[in-house]
Amino acid sequence: MAPNREKIILKIENMTVRYGPIFALKKVNLKIAQGEIVVLIGSNGAGKSTLLKSIIGLEKPTEGHIIYQEKEISLWGPDHITRFGIFLIPEDGGIFRTLTVEENLQLGAYHFFSQYQERIEVVIKLFPVLKERLKQVAGTLSGGEQRVLAFGKALMSNSRILMLDEPSIGLSPKYIVQIFETIQALNQRGYTILLAEQNVIQASKYANRIYVLENGQIVLNGNASDLRNHPRIKEAYFGS
Amino acid sequence: MKVIIAQIINGIALGSIYVLLVTGFNLMFLVGKIIHFAYPYIVVISMYACWGLLKLTNNPLIAVFGTIISSILLHIMVEPLFRHINTRKGPIDINSSFIVSLGIALILTEIMSHQLNYGFPIAFPLNWMSSSIFLEINLIRISTGQLYTLLVSILIALALFILIYQTQLGRAFRAIAENISKARLQGIPILRLNLLLYGIAGLLGGIIALLFSMLIGSASPWLGEYIALKVLAVAIVAGLGNMKGGLICGLVLGIVESLIIHFLPGSWSNALAFLMMLFVILIRPRGIFNKNSIES
Repeated sequence: MAPNREKIILKIENMTVRYGPIFALKKVNLKIAQGEIVVLIGSNGAGKSTLLKSIIGLEKPTEGHIIYQEKEISLWGPDHITRFGIFLIPEDGGIFRTLTVEENLQLGAYHFFSQYQERIEVVIKLFPVLKERLKQVAGTLSGGEQRVLAFGKALMSNSRILMLDEPSIGLSPKYIVQIFETIQALNQRGYTILLAEQNVIQASKYANRIYVLENGQIVLNGNASDLRNHPRIKEAYFGS
Repeated sequence: MKVIIAQIINGIALGSIYVLLVTGFNLMFLVGKIIHFAYPYIVVISMYACWGLLKLTNNPLIAVFGTIISSILLHIMVEPLFRHINTRKGPIDINSSFIVSLGIALILTEIMSHQLNYGFPIAFPLNWMSSSIFLEINLIRISTGQLYTLLVSILIALALFILIYQTQLGRAFRAIAENISKARLQGIPILRLNLLLYGIAGLLGGIIALLFSMLIGSASPWLGEYIALKVLAVAIVAGLGNMKGGLICGLVLGIVESLIIHFLPGSWSNALAFLMMLFVILIRPRGIFNKNSIES
């Protein structure tokens, strides 16, 4: 789906997150238009995960605003935000390892359980591997299958924006390509994607726009095609 | 032989109450992330509420509802204390919850010792105890109280297991039990479900109080401690948080206790529970059914 640059669905204004005297994020500004794939890049500890956690309501901003579909959501809790259409897939996938695949998917539809049947059909059509594994305990799935389940769970919710925290971490190169292709496929189905990644080479291939975080601050942002050739990015991430 | 069969029947009735108590205790441990040592104490003070209501109104229906409501209210009242402990920054400190629960237990014991019935044990009316005989074959007797206890316990245990394993609420409870941070991220409303959990624990506690009052017909300020120690022993023997293990161990303890009473003085029953606990801790430190999970 081509992004609609006119329609900003998520806007972060001057957001600061502090743990005591330490700034995890400082005056962060970010905009996401409907249908975009936006990638946050930065080294470990740059503040990528904190930014995603703040959007989903796990961390409360000390200052600033998070506006989703023209509503201020910075003080909302994760249950409210998830119901309202933002879903975060954490680094480990966020699946419940002792529950079955089916139970994980049922929990994905926690706030919309009446629509479970129609949603599961869509998810299984997209990820047929889950159909064979429905009764299997999620902890016994392979790493790649667990990522697929994490995607399935996210699609069971009412999300419009999917946020992914380093989805390629710990996966083999073959799975990494698959993960990014899945992200692109989901984007084509209408999902807006916000992705925190260290695998800049892969992520930048699929991104519309890139934000670079360093020490909790946005130091660069722009179209992916422009930033790929930016000397700072080239030096830091492409080794040239 | 007939005496032994009779004692086994007594034991099953008693054990079924232990099963409910341990189930409530384990549910609080897994989902509420607390060691709710005061749980049996709240059951006992609900027995006092039942006794008081019976005395005041002489109406069993009011007593039944009053007991259940008092147990639910007491649980809802203590919920903010545990919530405060569990929502502090950093990892959940289950030891603090144990100390707080112990404090609640001591306060409840003091209230019962000084403020209720002048500290004397209470006795329920004979007609409340359902001591009429339902079935009698030689020495083997099953009272209607025992029958009620058994039937209600089976129904409640079944309902709880269906709730936990077959419903969306149960799945959410199990998700919280596995990992509260992931559950929060999933959008599961932790605070609301926590309150509901205390409500369910209160409902269960109220029913246990009713069953206990019908089965043993009396209560004293020290009954809470007597039961709490056993519940703790059973939960540890089964494996803390192991719902199915608690079911088996609770039943076994009830039967063994009843058999012991036949051969030894009744006061040995507590020692036996702790002997079992020590033995199990030595050879299986995480309990017989050793997975600390609601799934096991």
